Amino acid sequence: MSADHKARPLLALAVAVGLLALFAVPRLTGNEYVLALGVSFATMSVLAGGLNLVYGYTGLLSFAQVGFFGIGGYTAALMVTDHGWPLWAGAMAGGGLATLVGIVIGYSSLRLSRHAFAIVSLSFALLCMIVARDWVDVTRGAMGIPGLLPPAMDLPGGLRWRIAQPADFYWLLLGFAVVAHALIYVVVTSRLGRAMRAIKLNEPLAQSQGLNPVAYKLLAIALSALLAGIVGGLFVFYLTIVDPSIFDFYYTETMLIMVIIGGPGSFWGVLASSAVLTVVPDLLRFTTDLRMVLYGLVLILAMLLFPGGLGGWLHRRRVARWRRPRPGGA
Amino acid sequence: MTALLQVRGLTKRYLGLTAVDDLSYEVEAGTIVGLIGPNGSGKSTSIDCISGFQPADGGRWSLDGVDLTGLGPHRIARAGLTRSFQTVRAYDELTLLENMGVAAQENDGIGWLQALLRGGTLRRADAAARARGRDLLATVGLADYAEAPAAVLSYGQRKLLAIAAAMMARPRLVVLDEPVAGVNPTMIRRIEAVIRKLNAEGVALLIVEHNVDFIMSLCSRVIVLEAGARIADGPPGLIRSDPRVLAAYLGKSSAAATAARHG
Repeated sequence: MSADHKARPLLALAVAVGLLALFAVPRLTGNEYVLALGVSFATMSVLAGGLNLVYGYTGLLSFAQVGFFGIGGYTAALMVTDHGWPLWAGAMAGGGLATLVGIVIGYSSLRLSRHAFAIVSLSFALLCMIVARDWVDVTRGAMGIPGLLPPAMDLPGGLRWRIAQPADFYWLLLGFAVVAHALIYVVVTSRLGRAMRAIKLNEPLAQSQGLNPVAYKLLAIALSALLAGIVGGLFVFYLTIVDPSIFDFYYTETMLIMVIIGGPGSFWGVLASSAVLTVVPDLLRFTTDLRMVLYGLVLILAMLLFPGGLGGWLHRRRVARWRRPRPGGA
Repeated sequence: MTALLQVRGLTKRYLGLTAVDDLSYEVEAGTIVGLIGPNGSGKSTSIDCISGFQPADGGRWSLDGVDLTGLGPHRIARAGLTRSFQTVRAYDELTLLENMGVAAQENDGIGWLQALLRGGTLRRADAAARARGRDLLATVGLADYAEAPAAVLSYGQRKLLAIAAAMMARPRLVVLDEPVAGVNPTMIRRIEAVIRKLNAEGVALLIVEHNVDFIMSLCSRVIVLEAGARIADGPPGLIRSDPRVLAAYLGKSSAAATAARHG
């Protein structure tokens, strides 16, 4: 980690400049298409970042993220439209409920095995869609809840922010994404993140050293559920509708690809791949026929060149460097 | 004074096969005790049970008077009983110092919130862990690799790392499962020296091993298992000449020859 220490000021500078540029985008271009890509990146990167925490750091394959995302979306939509809650409160309620559900499914399945969790999380995601479609009294069924209008947000200092323009959503979701990634970053760079990696790398060894795997796994699941729930709550107001398609497998697939290409367990890798994989499918729009074929090719190439993702490639380089014969080395 | 580790009536069955049969033994504080026996005699199973990795079917065990029966492995570790594994385990992608840090982090009283807020208490605890980690890595001769990922280590070096990591949290008792299996003679001498050095600092060790010479030279007491039961328990000199041990452990024909050799 000594290299990280030296790189820290540089990294901080790069992050600051990058953030300034990102937040300035709506001022530089009114192009709604660019802003839509930004919203999509912010949303998907939070989902992928949460999945990375659960799968990449803790080693639990989870299909539940999309369920938390949709629960957050539905909860926020219902709270805001039916109960007149402000958007931020609705989104927080969505995040809270998603966290609760995450802890329940995690606690009930983690005592069995990692595989049990994967299966339970998949069943949970499928169940969410069925509930959203069939529990018509609450969810309004297959048609969903259309016409979502975000109420103005009260900001500190007595300001009111009317979220109506695409640029407002861009700032809102990007702002939340920054908070979410900062939180994930603080966790993964702390000893808690180290413990999660240890549990993924060798669970029995971790147990023999006093680490309680279930506790760390639940922490990862709870945090990822909280962030996915909140971002879901914000995102549905951008879409102006929440319906059962919020639980679509498309989201699961996209965030899994982002984590795998970025390198499970690599914070910056997954963030970078979230950005690249948001933009690439759109760069390929010049050919509608071959678009998905080309996208598939890009993914296959990425897997061939970086089998462990970006993070795995960095790790292999590090090992190779230490294995090189050194003067006087053992 | 009661013994550090007390095992009473430990029993473990697999589908009707009794792997450990009403086994009782003790390990005194600060001693090195060997646990030997032919394949399938229940050595590994018995330590898997007392370290919480296998549920026992009967018996009780305690460390320093604290009952550990039925606790999960992480609780037993926190109570002061750590172990190494027969299949050497390390966190390959973490550096050696990070490996050592993980091994200590549940025992320095830092809570999750403190870990995230990164205050002075955490920094002091982390600095202390790094210092102890470096010391222990130096003791096992891996100081040069402190910042290297564990994946670069050789098999023997990984065994040394495992021993050092098991010491990190200042346990009362360390259980080593075949610390020198498959290791070359030079490395065996190094591991032996390391174990002596660690023992000199006061930690007790219970060592499961097939290498009888290693056990005999290192341990003050040797427990011999056969078919899940204890057939002998005493200083190495007595164990060497115990006819039951020779018969069980070396086979009946070679027992006579060995007995003759050792006179």
